[in-house]
Amino acid sequence: MPLALRDLQAAFAAHIMGADHADLVAAVAGDTIPAAARLSVYRHHVFESLGTALAATFPTVQALVGPDFFRGLARAFIGHALPAQPVLTEYGADFPAFIAGYESARDLPYLADVARLDWALNLAFHAGSGDRLQAADLLAVPAEHLPSLSIALAAGAVLISSRYPLDRIWETSQPGAASETVDLNSGASNLLVLRRPDDAAFVSLGAGEAAFMAALTAGMSLEWAAGAAFQADPAFELSTSFARLLALGAFAALQ
Amino acid sequence: MNPVAGIGLRSPHLAAVGRERPATGFLEIHAENCLAETPALQAVERLRADYAFSVHAVGLSLGSADGLDTAHLARVAALVKRLEPAWVSDHLSWSVSGGRYFNDLLPLPYTEEALEVVVRNVGRLQDALGRQVSIENPSCYLGFADSTLSEPAFLSELVRRSGCGLLLDPNNIFVTAHNLRLDPRDWLDGLPGPAITEYHLAGHATNDADGEPILIDDHGSKVSNGVWALFAEVVKRFGARPTLIEWDTDIPPLSVLLDEAARAAGMIETVVVAGGQDAARAA
Repeated sequence: MPLALRDLQAAFAAHIMGADHADLVAAVAGDTIPAAARLSVYRHHVFESLGTALAATFPTVQALVGPDFFRGLARAFIGHALPAQPVLTEYGADFPAFIAGYESARDLPYLADVARLDWALNLAFHAGSGDRLQAADLLAVPAEHLPSLSIALAAGAVLISSRYPLDRIWETSQPGAASETVDLNSGASNLLVLRRPDDAAFVSLGAGEAAFMAALTAGMSLEWAAGAAFQADPAFELSTSFARLLALGAFAALQ
Repeated sequence: MNPVAGIGLRSPHLAAVGRERPATGFLEIHAENCLAETPALQAVERLRADYAFSVHAVGLSLGSADGLDTAHLARVAALVKRLEPAWVSDHLSWSVSGGRYFNDLLPLPYTEEALEVVVRNVGRLQDALGRQVSIENPSCYLGFADSTLSEPAFLSELVRRSGCGLLLDPNNIFVTAHNLRLDPRDWLDGLPGPAITEYHLAGHATNDADGEPILIDDHGSKVSNGVWALFAEVVKRFGARPTLIEWDTDIPPLSVLLDEAARAAGMIETVVVAGGQDAARAA
């Protein structure tokens, strides 16, 4: 009795993920090339092509660990979680968390944060540019309403905070960068990832600015966000920092 | 239909094509690469004024017994509406099972049950897009013992029942025929020629499968001599169609793709003109 198509596809899928299935092997027409060797062409392609997709989305992770280590890491992740849909630039949201728990990467404690940065840059690149807040928009808001105003971050904009100097690690991992030693204990980093007209990039924020953006991300009003920023950095200057962030296009237009 | 050859537009060439606007018949994009609001999609939109477009999907999984992914279908439909391409296509294969996407063109058994599944899914796709789509013959690395139809007979019946077009890939015929011990010229017999809307051409690699050579459709080299010969036979039998050069791994400079497309256009012209002269002599 032949397998129903749905069962055949489920068996094929399970075989690709490593579960041998006698009914499936029997269903494949055999000749001088055994069914298992024919099936392995597909298994190989699934893992290789998804590994290539992950390398494209997480280029800094790959640059740090090298292609061989990355291939093993990617294979482990793919075995753990296949894509749920066919747009490969949207595959890998769980990769940073997977890296954090990956035994063989335990001596690279910053690697998961690097993956978070790669993923944020990928998301920002694929986010629409959207309408940004302009200084003129704020002039239209009555002054007494400004303190209670909530401002959302622009599409794709996100704050990535790490206890490691992520910006330095990222810079020294770029193609063509001179090899340099980064002191992992040289301090924490707060990076604001942004979609620019033709690409995605990040800027480094001070502790006050980072607290300000984190508070806005959490939905706090301008007044509360400014308070959080002063708490994190008593030297925080609201007007200077706000003007800088506004010029960067960090905020979405008011709703 | 005028003989015309185009190239698959890949991200490494996007800037050069935008800048140089090379003379080529048409451009093809992969639907799944153009579903987000990226600078790349904006660049593609700017090229629409100068080129005809083909939208080639790789992830609709038209052979899935589970049916189509509604969310993905809606995104592809929105892209097609936006780009208004001359052609839309995907493959005779499946890539989704149990909600997991395998990123490969996995093979179908050619049975009445599978035919009904593909006819239903293609019908749903054509309804969602409000237009005909073309279905491409896949490269196969295995066949199923329970298949009751040959691949070309399956495709012919799919065309008859769904009203879809055929995207004929001579490289895939060559690869499948080698791997499954078929004669590629026999494979062409009985295909519904008028349903063919487009040809694809690409290179393949030769790998080892337990000591036997197996051909892999990797789109990573020039079109092989054997495939050019088969392409000439295809054009002789079915006539000229828009023909695409695809290259997806180890992508070379743009000029290499353009040269391959020019070679395809030249071959079409030679075969069609020679065929015309044969017909004139016969009359």
